[in-house]
Amino acid sequence: MMLRKILIANRGEIALRVNRAAHELGIETVAIFSEADRESLHVRYADEAFCVGPGPVARSYLNIPNIISAALISGADAIHPGYGFLAENARFAEICADHGLTFIGPTPDVIAKMGDKATARALMHDARIPTTPGTGILADAAAAVHAARKLKYPVLLKATAGGGGKGMRVVFDATEVDHAFATAQAEAEANFKDGRLYMEKLIERPRHIEVQVLGDTLGNVVHVGERDCSVQKPSHQKLIEEAPATGLSRATRERLHEIALAAARAVHYTSAGTLEFLVSGGDVFFMEMNTRIQVEHPISEVVYGVDLVREQIRVASGERLAFSQKDLSPRGHAIECRINAEDPSQNFAPAAGTLTHVALPGGFGIRVDSHVYTGLQISPYYDSLLAKVIAHGATREETIARMACALAETRIEGVKTTLDICRSIMRDERFLAGGVSIEFLPDLTAMAPLGT
Amino acid sequence: MDWELTLERAKRAAEFCAAAGLARFRVEEDGIEIEVRRSPRPVRPPTAVPAAEPSAVPSPNGAPSRETRAAAVVKAEFVGVVRLARPAVMEGTVVGGDRELAYVESLGIRNPIRSSGPGRVVAVHVSDGQPVEFGQPLFSIESA
Repeated sequence: MMLRKILIANRGEIALRVNRAAHELGIETVAIFSEADRESLHVRYADEAFCVGPGPVARSYLNIPNIISAALISGADAIHPGYGFLAENARFAEICADHGLTFIGPTPDVIAKMGDKATARALMHDARIPTTPGTGILADAAAAVHAARKLKYPVLLKATAGGGGKGMRVVFDATEVDHAFATAQAEAEANFKDGRLYMEKLIERPRHIEVQVLGDTLGNVVHVGERDCSVQKPSHQKLIEEAPATGLSRATRERLHEIALAAARAVHYTSAGTLEFLVSGGDVFFMEMNTRIQVEHPISEVVYGVDLVREQIRVASGERLAFSQKDLSPRGHAIECRINAEDPSQNFAPAAGTLTHVALPGGFGIRVDSHVYTGLQISPYYDSLLAKVIAHGATREETIARMACALAETRIEGVKTTLDICRSIMRDERFLAGGVSIEFLPDLTAMAPLGT
Repeated sequence: MDWELTLERAKRAAEFCAAAGLARFRVEEDGIEIEVRRSPRPVRPPTAVPAAEPSAVPSPNGAPSRETRAAAVVKAEFVGVVRLARPAVMEGTVVGGDRELAYVESLGIRNPIRSSGPGRVVAVHVSDGQPVEFGQPLFSIESA
């Protein structure tokens, strides 16, 4: 039975994205919003809308009782969490089920297992998926010193509950362990209320390549190719993504796809998800699995010609995936640039203010996923993403040229943005050559004055 | 019917209403019904999208003008269904400092809505059984 009415528990561009997919399927939508988002497009485009709290996310977009209550009052039969906020909150997925609401995502059990990094690594290890050499949970700094001696420096201390680079420290030798352990533990405790740490061997100058998977409740699993997300800010947040990953050997690419399918099958994955890998030469290491739709999903959509959000909704309704692996083949190349309200010269510090002028690009092979318009106030409460500009072309060269033209057309004024740095990356020789590592953008921002 | 007398009675009813600080006053006598209402405040229709706060235009000296003495707006903190207290609070009801005016039922929990000080209800913005969202005005209460 296809779902009839979906509450979208998110804001910004992803709320619009889900709203469109639902409406195309003839499904009604319910928006939620905070008092700071009253003028947002996602409120206007949905069939109904409920204010669920004030600006701060803890009292609005994370306000589970008000969100569930809005779903029940409006008669929604499902909740789409988008990304961020409640998307990877296993408890929220359980609460939805308790109230007879379909959570559009994988099962709470899978979310919980994959959300705990040490558990996910152990699971993957058991499924013979290669993980970076590392440890389980470390009891204390002494255990960390002992483990690091075996793994050989440099190593990474990581919070098992971590994400977004928080609770993570690079350690180059034994003298740094005590301090790194204490600070990472405190940071993890403060951010995730879970101070447990584990250790991984640091893979130097790797590429970040991830594989999109889709599963249904009937046991079918497909991959929708890989994305190269190596252009990352120093905080490890992605800025530019492309599909397919350039310069991979055929063997490595096929191996990535096979590993991703095996991993998804191992946990009986039943929605859209992403397996993230570090790739260094021919070596492939599982890093983590994101159990949600991702910001960069459109590049896979345009290259494979499939609507991932539509499939998420369909499989949540109990339907079979609309295609099998043999129906899926990549066509051309796609790049996404994230235009964020951030100041690249200040280590990408978020910027707030009113957008005084917005002109978004268009034309053949250009897709823009965005919620912004002239006059919109960018609040400091939320994610800084303003627009995703996605270019699709027959070749990587054509796609880069198309992206450069699109970015040249784009105007977003009133706040500092990442527009200029994206423009200069489209001209950067290392980026043009392809296959940059995750150190590319940190090196670039450390070296040169930007936006010229 | 003595038209002059009726008008005179209506005028007196209006004066009484104003003097007593009532929002509404109704009298029935000798088969004649007279109802007077004070009309300064527009009563918002119940809606899922609350309008802006009552406009607070400060007078030149910075003190609140007569208009803004208006009323404290009691708003919903929970998304849920509003149930008015019995006996129902209406326009003109004088409430004590901590009277339960209604509750918002959310996920099976009754979240009481109380007046925050003694005063007179000048507007009831919702009807019994209506769904409400966060921040939705429920009652306007003019402090005593």
